[in-house]
Amino acid sequence: MIQKKVCMVGLFGTGKTSLVQQFVHSLFSERYLSTVGVKIDRKPMEVDGVALTLVLWDLAGRDGHEDITTSYLRGAHGVLYVADGTRRETCDQLPELRALVREAAGEVPELLALNKSDLKDRWQLGDADERTLAGAWDVVRTSAKTGEGVEQIFQRIGRAMLGPKEARP
Amino acid sequence: MTATAVTAARVDASGLTDIGRKRKANEDHFVIVSLRKAAEVKQTSLADPSVFDRLGGQECLLFVVADGVGGRAGGAIASETAVTALVDYVGQAAGCVHNLDVDREHEFLAQLEGAIRETHRRLVAEGGGRGMGPATTLTMAALVWPRAYLLHVGDSRAFYLRKGRLRQLTRDQTTGEYMVDAGVWTEEQARQAPAGGALFSALGGDDLTVAVGLVDLQPGDVLLLCTDGLTRHVPDDRIAEILGRPADASSACRELVDEALKGGGSDNITVVVARMQG
Repeated sequence: MIQKKVCMVGLFGTGKTSLVQQFVHSLFSERYLSTVGVKIDRKPMEVDGVALTLVLWDLAGRDGHEDITTSYLRGAHGVLYVADGTRRETCDQLPELRALVREAAGEVPELLALNKSDLKDRWQLGDADERTLAGAWDVVRTSAKTGEGVEQIFQRIGRAMLGPKEARP
Repeated sequence: MTATAVTAARVDASGLTDIGRKRKANEDHFVIVSLRKAAEVKQTSLADPSVFDRLGGQECLLFVVADGVGGRAGGAIASETAVTALVDYVGQAAGCVHNLDVDREHEFLAQLEGAIRETHRRLVAEGGGRGMGPATTLTMAALVWPRAYLLHVGDSRAFYLRKGRLRQLTRDQTTGEYMVDAGVWTEEQARQAPAGGALFSALGGDDLTVAVGLVDLQPGDVLLLCTDGLTRHVPDDRIAEILGRPADASSACRELVDEALKGGGSDNITVVVARMQG
């Protein structure tokens, strides 16, 4: 069985844990309890007919990413960045966060989940902002509440980690 | 009271269990185990015997608390079985805690989780296969400095204190917590409901959910594992105050237990304190 470590990173309160909960347990809670340290969940899945287990490392979010414990990122095969569309600052800090992560984990497959799409009326990003983000990232809109995009982000990061079909064993 | 102390090079660890003031028996158990793969060169003609140093390994400290589930037969046996089985497993697998790269780390966690599931199956079988036999909570931390790997079932708890701030590493697996998460109850309703404290997950119970996590510790941090006999009576800020004092782990254990007894001691009380020394 192929196992891949995926780190979920983003600022405090962006919904990293909720996305994992929705993906692994099909559960969503409105209640917010911040993650302490790292929560680890496993999710077996199939990508293009290949059996794959994602080992999801849900890292505690930080108000300032300088506090992210970079030792948790070492050995990651993929990184899933999570930003909250209703809080612009969670997107503004992505470039710096990416630099920090790349220093610890190297250049591994990555994806940006623009989360809380169910709260579009409170969205702080315009179409132009989203286009700018899309120029720098592989972006998927997600909602841990409705499930929109959730399966898709894990499928996409799984596929990227496996590499091109012709190069797979 | 039953006390045990282990002092390792970097960690001052101690545990204490007490029957409390109301219960007729103590159904809690704890253990602190130090594991190290050792290779000692007795004699050699080699100029540099340090080449064999790699055969030795980093120490793994294992801390476990378990609380036999009240109201079921054999709660004490269940917690003892769980603690013994887990230590037995880690003892046999001691070699795999060395040179933990990503794959080995995942393998280590998967095997620990497997040991818990196997113990669960054994307890369920002993209870006639219906999840109505002896059951227990189990909270464990395996410390391979500086990383503490955590596995948790039930409503015992793990905390760590850093720079005066106490953080809870585990979430109670109770009906109350579950209903609040599902948006069915408010936290107040969960506190008031008679079934709010019932476990939805326990070793030997109807269902088992193993929560897995880790935290990298720093010198000066204090790790605490405890059963609910402590947290029912001692609020988090008081726990933080006691752990924040520069006392040794053994004194901190005694003070925590005394505080729970002073608060009523309605249940068995068990604490394990590990102080990371600088």
